[in-house]
Amino acid sequence: MEQQAFVEHSPHQKSSLTTRRIMLDVLIALAPAAVMGCIYFGWQALLVLVLTVLSAVLTEIIWLLIRKQTFKEIFKQFDLTSVVTGLLLGMCFGSQTAWYACILAGAFAVGVAKMLFGGTGRNIVNPALAGRIFAFIAFPTIVAGGWLGANFTESAGEVLTGATPLTDFLTNNGVMNTELWQLFFGYGVPGCIGETCKIALLAGYVYLIVRKVIDWKYPLIYIAATGVTTMIIYQSFEVFLPSILSGGLFLGAIFMATDYVTSPKTLWGNVVYFLVLGIITAVLRFATGIEVVSFCIFLMNLVTPLIDRFIRPKPFGYVRPEKEKTGKGPAKEAGK
Amino acid sequence: MKKNDYKKIFFDGVVANNPTWRLVLGTCATLALTTSAMNGIGMGLAVTVILLCSNVLVSLLRKVIPNEVRIPAFVLIIATFVTVVRMVLYAYLPDLYDSMGVFLPLIVVNCIILGRAESFASKNTVLAAAADGVANGIGFTVALTIMGIIREFLGNASFFGIAQPWDFKIGFFTSSAGAFFVYGICIALFNFIYSKIEISLAHGKARARRQSLPKSLEELKETAQAQEEK
Repeated sequence: MEQQAFVEHSPHQKSSLTTRRIMLDVLIALAPAAVMGCIYFGWQALLVLVLTVLSAVLTEIIWLLIRKQTFKEIFKQFDLTSVVTGLLLGMCFGSQTAWYACILAGAFAVGVAKMLFGGTGRNIVNPALAGRIFAFIAFPTIVAGGWLGANFTESAGEVLTGATPLTDFLTNNGVMNTELWQLFFGYGVPGCIGETCKIALLAGYVYLIVRKVIDWKYPLIYIAATGVTTMIIYQSFEVFLPSILSGGLFLGAIFMATDYVTSPKTLWGNVVYFLVLGIITAVLRFATGIEVVSFCIFLMNLVTPLIDRFIRPKPFGYVRPEKEKTGKGPAKEAGK
Repeated sequence: MKKNDYKKIFFDGVVANNPTWRLVLGTCATLALTTSAMNGIGMGLAVTVILLCSNVLVSLLRKVIPNEVRIPAFVLIIATFVTVVRMVLYAYLPDLYDSMGVFLPLIVVNCIILGRAESFASKNTVLAAAADGVANGIGFTVALTIMGIIREFLGNASFFGIAQPWDFKIGFFTSSAGAFFVYGICIALFNFIYSKIEISLAHGKARARRQSLPKSLEELKETAQAQEEK
């Protein structure tokens, strides 16, 4: 009797948990904040988001074409990461950002920060953050020059341009003129497209937890550490809420710092990562007087391999060898 | 010294051991002075002149300098020529002197010059040392000029100081982050091209060896017979 035996490589059991599914979940979680941003800031915000996403995706496709891959292969391995990168990048721009800054930043994010380092999963820093920092250095006046206020009454001619609440907070020594509820809903608050509406970001956070894409602990550690450190710096309990609700802290903590590729692998490694992240964010905000969440996450991304080197994951089936009690050594020998 | 040896010295200095892109030497000056093409050329030529003079002098004195104190002696020779070049630039090209600033006296501690003195000039004849100095200087100048052109064109929208009609400046490229970025990309591209050159050279050598070998057994016998008859 002849029987054919098939030998297959592991893994033998496959689940539906693919990169494409996770990235789709992240996209769904980002959607509320992006939609609220477009409602608050108008069609210009939508234009910025579309430009960054298109630029990021096209850069990836062109790169793969240069590497002599066919369209069929590209479509097969297309896992939406560049869409997420482009959307995140667009969400940390103001709505008045010039079109060429959007396109160049998208191309830099995917082309340099991701594809040059070997593609998805091999990047050492978050591509979206690299793109934002590139745009911040390349076009300081366009990207960080005055923020357009998110205001429903834009048609009535009341367009607010000015400092974000965080800049206000930092320059006025811990006093903010914006109401807390306003910060929470992002109504009439100047800032980036994706950062103003905290409740939409929190909805995305809940969705990601329910789909088990991110751990619920980590963003909370980051946000709490930033708030507590700010309280220590200003020596007052009142600054906790304003400090965490202003700026891009929620966007960074929920969607950027929790990136799988650039955060540590172990539970304790992550705790260290997010604690240090929170502390340096608060300290650098106080020291520089500008929003530094993106720079801090960028900095900690570079430290991640170091954390992984010292806090290692336990190998499967590992049993810790019992320590020999040093004090009883001579006594044992005497007993023999 | 044969003609081929000089060819090899020049190929090594400009391509195979290009100080900036292959050996990554003199990084400080490279990063700081490539903000414009003119600065790059100025720095490159200054280093070339100093390299040529110091190589010649070190090679002349190579049997006089005791081995134990050779490094201080080399530094003294280099510092002398740096001072000369500095005074000449101050007198005749004050603009370039100003824009080069502290990096001009810092040529004294430039690894390229000390490295060539230590590894080449102190072991070879005067002519070979001079050729090596010129070759390495050209390699350095070409690298700095190309990086300067790229950074000036993208960051300042001008080409050798001539402003372009459009006013599109990416400030990233004139900052230090852009210097590292352009440097890295240039190193990657140069090494990619060099690996292609190396492969084609290896192929050429193999082909030459194959052609010099007898093609078949009969041919081998024929040549053996011919030798016997002689």
